Order: sequence, then structure tokens, then C-alpha cells
Amino acid sequence: MRLEKCWFCSSTIYPGHGIQFVRNDAKIFRFCRSKCHKNFKMKRNPRKVKWTKAYRRLHGKDMTQDLTFEFERKRNRPERYDRNLAETTLKAIKKITKVRVEREAKHHALRMKGKKAKDHKEAVKELEQSIHLVKAPAVFQQDPTLTLPKMQVKVSQKQSEENNAMEE
Amino acid sequence: MATRLQFENSCEVGVFSKLTNAYCLVAIGGSENFYSIFEDELAGAIPVVKTSIGGTRIIGRLCAGNKNGLLLPHTTTDQELQHLRNSLPDQVVVQRIDERLSALGNCISCNDHVALTHPDLDKETEEMIADVLGVEVFRQTVAGNILVGSYCAFSNRGGLVHPHTSIEDLDELSTLLQVPLVAGTVNRGSEVISAGMTVNDWTAFCGSDTTATELSVIESVFKLREAQPTDIVQDMRKSLIDSYL
Repeated sequence: MRLEKCWFCSSTIYPGHGIQFVRNDAKIFRFCRSKCHKNFKMKRNPRKVKWTKAYRRLHGKDMTQDLTFEFERKRNRPERYDRNLAETTLKAIKKITKVRVEREAKHHALRMKGKKAKDHKEAVKELEQSIHLVKAPAVFQQDPTLTLPKMQVKVSQKQSEENNAMEE
Repeated sequence: MATRLQFENSCEVGVFSKLTNAYCLVAIGGSENFYSIFEDELAGAIPVVKTSIGGTRIIGRLCAGNKNGLLLPHTTTDQELQHLRNSLPDQVVVQRIDERLSALGNCISCNDHVALTHPDLDKETEEMIADVLGVEVFRQTVAGNILVGSYCAFSNRGGLVHPHTSIEDLDELSTLLQVPLVAGTVNRGSEVISAGMTVNDWTAFCGSDTTATELSVIESVFKLREAQPTDIVQDMRKSLIDSYL
């Protein structure tokens, strides 16, 4: 049993899932689900389809070159089984995935770095320029602040009775 | 010293086994008869390993090897690869190659010094063969057939090729491979030599349909009789006389 990668979206294909297509030149295409398979049949290029890993890597959304990726290669010349080596390999796998996740988080943080400041600046500008979409012009003449001030309304008894009648 | 046997009633012994000077691979059959005959002959000298390749039993046609290495197709699973690596001696390099023509046993025929390959094999595969098996590689056809691995079988001491090979071809191949070659058949006239028999420097295994004449030809071209000069009388009797009735 081997966990393969989907040709289209690069996600792992677990046993019992997906379809394998073997072309006449003996190249094997594995797909994780019918979504990827149908996209392939439509001859879509995964590098142009936004939600695939290929697109994300190509457009710098995800980490591309990192040492942690070097560990996950297909090896064609095996070594004799050694229990100690197997044990250390299992421990290493855990550590490597942890490191990779941390690095990807860092990459994401770096990519999103100026976002908060930028968002704030844009919000302020929008408030200055487009507030007329939200408030009526009359309000600006009454009160220079942008928030509605708390006004004390003097309610007389007569008015309240009238209001009650209207409510009914 | 050639032995006649069957794999589950099939005489195509070369399909279900791979014999070299350093190891022997055998397919997993329903009964242990096939395996035990190999064990009888070879147990002390070389390891006899039961295996499958890509979940199939046709291992002789899928892999190619000699005493230096073993080449496996890309269909070999990781578990099979690991099993072979654990079972074979360390001098044998076990390598899986990515090649469009995945039936390596049909495309590559080799001994410990020279290999004949399918003319359409990739350049990288050819380099891999030269590197892993430690041989000189020649792209050739045998009697007009591109599947050289099936239509000829040779060891370090001799070789048997497709019966329709012309004499010029035979001479040319003989000079390339530096071994004496003979055009003959196996398994009562079957032209697919390598599928019907498997051979190394001191033994050969043929299908039980092989006639006495074919067997004597095999024993003479591969020089198997010289291995045990004391048993020569008994062996020749066995190969010359099919049955006493």
C-alpha cells in the first residue's frame, strides 16, 4: 500500500479512493476524487486552477523550496531493514512534519505581514470619503462628530397617552 | 545438469523463476513443489527467495539480473522491494527503475559481463543497466524479434537463441557476447527460450515438456555436463531416456 499524490490537486490519495488513468504512453495519472478527474478530462492545466497546490506553489502562496521537502522522496534503492534505523526514521518523520508546519505558518505570516496596517488605512480613508453613503447631510450640520449624540428627549404626559392610543 | 519441472502444471519455468549465479527468485505458488525442487538443487550454494513483483507471479519476465544486481520495474511495491533487499546478499544491488517497458525480463537478457537489450529502451535505463548490473550493453534484435529477453537465454558459458536465427546473426551475436551460441528450442519446440527455461553457470531448469534431444543440446551448449564428471553416466542416461516404457 502506498499513499500517492493526486496529479491534479496534489493531495494524498488514501486506499479505496480515486481513479487511476493509464495513458497509452504508459504514464499513470492518479486522481483523488472525481472533481480532479473531471478537471483533467476537460484538459485544464492545474497550474491555472486556483485551488490546486500547483497553482499555490507557482504563485508564491505556499512554500516551495525547503529542506523539509527533500526528505519525502521516492527511493528506488532500498537499504537492508534495521530496526534502530526504522525507529529513528519514525521519530524523524514526526519532527519533520512539525518543522514543516511551523515553517509554512511563518511563510503565511510573512505573506500577510502588512495586511493589518493596510486594512486600517483603507478603513480610515473610506470613512473620510464615503461616509455620505451612510449618513444624511443634515446630520453633519447639527453635530460635527460622526456618531449620533445621546439627546435627552423631554416626554410630556400627554404625548405618552397619545402614543398609547396610536399603538392600539 | 538440467532439471525438468513444472509450475502448477505449466512448463514455462522461466516465467515463474529467475536464476543467477548469486541468487534465485521463485514465484509463490499454491504448493511448495516448485520451490522445493529449486531448494534441492541450490540450497547450499545460493539463497532461493520466494517473492512476487507488483502482486504478480510472473517474476521471471518482469525482472532482470545477474550476480551484481537486480533490476525491478516501477510496478514493484515498496514492501516487495524491501523484502528482496533483505533476502538477497549485500553485494547484489536491488534497484527499481522507471521505464515505460516494464517487463524487464522480456527486454533485457544478460549474464555477468554482457547484456542484450530491447532497441527501444530509454537512455537512462541503459545507463542504469550498465551501472547496476556492471555489464556492457548492446541494443540488438534476435531473429528479428525486439524482445531479446524472451527469445534468447545465455549464461557466462553458453547461450541458446530463437530457432529461426540466421547463421550470420548467430555469428554476430556470438562475437558480441563472447560465448558460444546455438539456435534451438525448449519445451517441445517452443521458440520462447527464456520463458521455457532458466539457467546459470552450473544448473538449468526446463519445463517438463522438454524432449531429451533439447535437453542434451542445452546441457552441451551451457556446458552443464562438465560440472559433475562423476555423475556423467547417470545424467546422460536421464536426459537421453525419457521413460522406460
